[in-house]
Amino acid sequence: MSDGGKVGESKREKRACADEFGRAVSKIAVGQICKNVGFEGFNESALEAFADIAVRYLRDLGKTSNFYANLAGRTESNVFDIIQGLEDLGGSMGLPGTSAVGDCVTGSGIVKEIVEYVESAEETPFAQPLPHFPVVRHRRMTPSFMQMGETPVFKSIPAWLPAFPDKHTYVHSPVWNERVENPLADKIELARQRRKAESSLLSLQQRLVRSGATEASTSADIAAGGNGLVVAQSKNPFLAAPVQAGEKDVSPPVLPTKLSDGAIVENHVSLVEAFAPAIDAVKDGFYDSGTNAGKSLPDKRPTVQLNFKSGRKSIGESLDLSIRNRNSGKTTSWFGRDDERDDKKRRAELILRHSMDNPTELTQL
Amino acid sequence: MNQGQQSNQGNRHHDDDAALSEFLASLMDYTPTIPDELVEHYLAKSGFQCPDVRLVRLVAVATQKFIAEVATDALQHCKARQAAVVKDKRDKQQKDKRLILAMEDLSKALRETLLPNYGYARELLEEI
Repeated sequence: MSDGGKVGESKREKRACADEFGRAVSKIAVGQICKNVGFEGFNESALEAFADIAVRYLRDLGKTSNFYANLAGRTESNVFDIIQGLEDLGGSMGLPGTSAVGDCVTGSGIVKEIVEYVESAEETPFAQPLPHFPVVRHRRMTPSFMQMGETPVFKSIPAWLPAFPDKHTYVHSPVWNERVENPLADKIELARQRRKAESSLLSLQQRLVRSGATEASTSADIAAGGNGLVVAQSKNPFLAAPVQAGEKDVSPPVLPTKLSDGAIVENHVSLVEAFAPAIDAVKDGFYDSGTNAGKSLPDKRPTVQLNFKSGRKSIGESLDLSIRNRNSGKTTSWFGRDDERDDKKRRAELILRHSMDNPTELTQL
Repeated sequence: MNQGQQSNQGNRHHDDDAALSEFLASLMDYTPTIPDELVEHYLAKSGFQCPDVRLVRLVAVATQKFIAEVATDALQHCKARQAAVVKDKRDKQQKDKRLILAMEDLSKALRETLLPNYGYARELLEEI
């Protein structure tokens, strides 16, 4: 029998009846009543059976009193219906409780018994506070056609029915790049960016010249600049890292102030990213103090090796090499465009010639 | 005579009604062990519809009374069972003093409550 009970209990644990909460509460209530009567312990199965009986009694009482109310033509029960229901269920024990057929209900023994019980029994309220149950969960319903403001496609569908899902949830549409290509604008933009780069190079060049460092060795940091501004040992002044725009006082039209910080209004993101490692390297290598807006470079600056060759060809060649040596993908657009390269070459030569001719003077492009 | 009876009955009605309404009022002070929410839930399940809290309390109290009666009967059975089992006079003190609600006591008590003449009917059947 104990085995059977165990098996039954395990089955019971797996099956969760819908009324579990109510049953649990009734179990507690019945347990409390039994404790008041005098019991000290309960068998689990006996307590569950007892709770089940209590639930049945409640439901039967409700059903019977509802039946009597309906019989009298009412939907809501009143006290007389309940009393008649109580009598029906035979809740009274013994003969004094029975009522004769003709007697008024209010004089029935059952009421008296209840009254006696209430007066005699000690009041023990339920052990824990209970919320109002069952809890009604409000589900969010699919909006109807009317609520969505749509009209159903098919005439046979009334508007108060839930709407169909949006088309994009089940129809696969091809994805393509929405941006319209404008080659002319791209070219103009590219040229403008290049000009700015050159002006920054020029400013650096001028700065170096001013400080009087004709021979310098590059720092390893600068050489390792990931943007492709590879400063070869014996090569080009233009391959040095650009100067931070804020520090050097240069005539305004030339200087691209926007290159100094990251806040670029126009679409120069690629340029900033290109110079950023170099700028960082410059910062690390060059500065021991904070913002240095002075004209002179600080002492600890590693020297940049600048080899000023007189021949233009060599400059041109080195420039070509510089172009080829660039690793950055951002400047790959500069490759393969021969006419633009020539143009750049010419401009670079111009700049260098200017700076060489006037080494101590500030020159403008 | 009929009229006298009726008037007597009328008086009785009056008293009973008064007593009933008094009782219902007093019910609000008494908190039954069976909580109101539980009673309301199961009454709603069976179709009982009433906005009056006093009636809910009445049902709760009636149920509590019923349960208490059954429990009392079961307790008596349990005690009787324990008294019957007297193995050793020495062990009487160490006997299982705890009164535990067991299935057999419960079933007996229920049978007697719901079918008061069960035993009597059985005897009748056996006679036959």
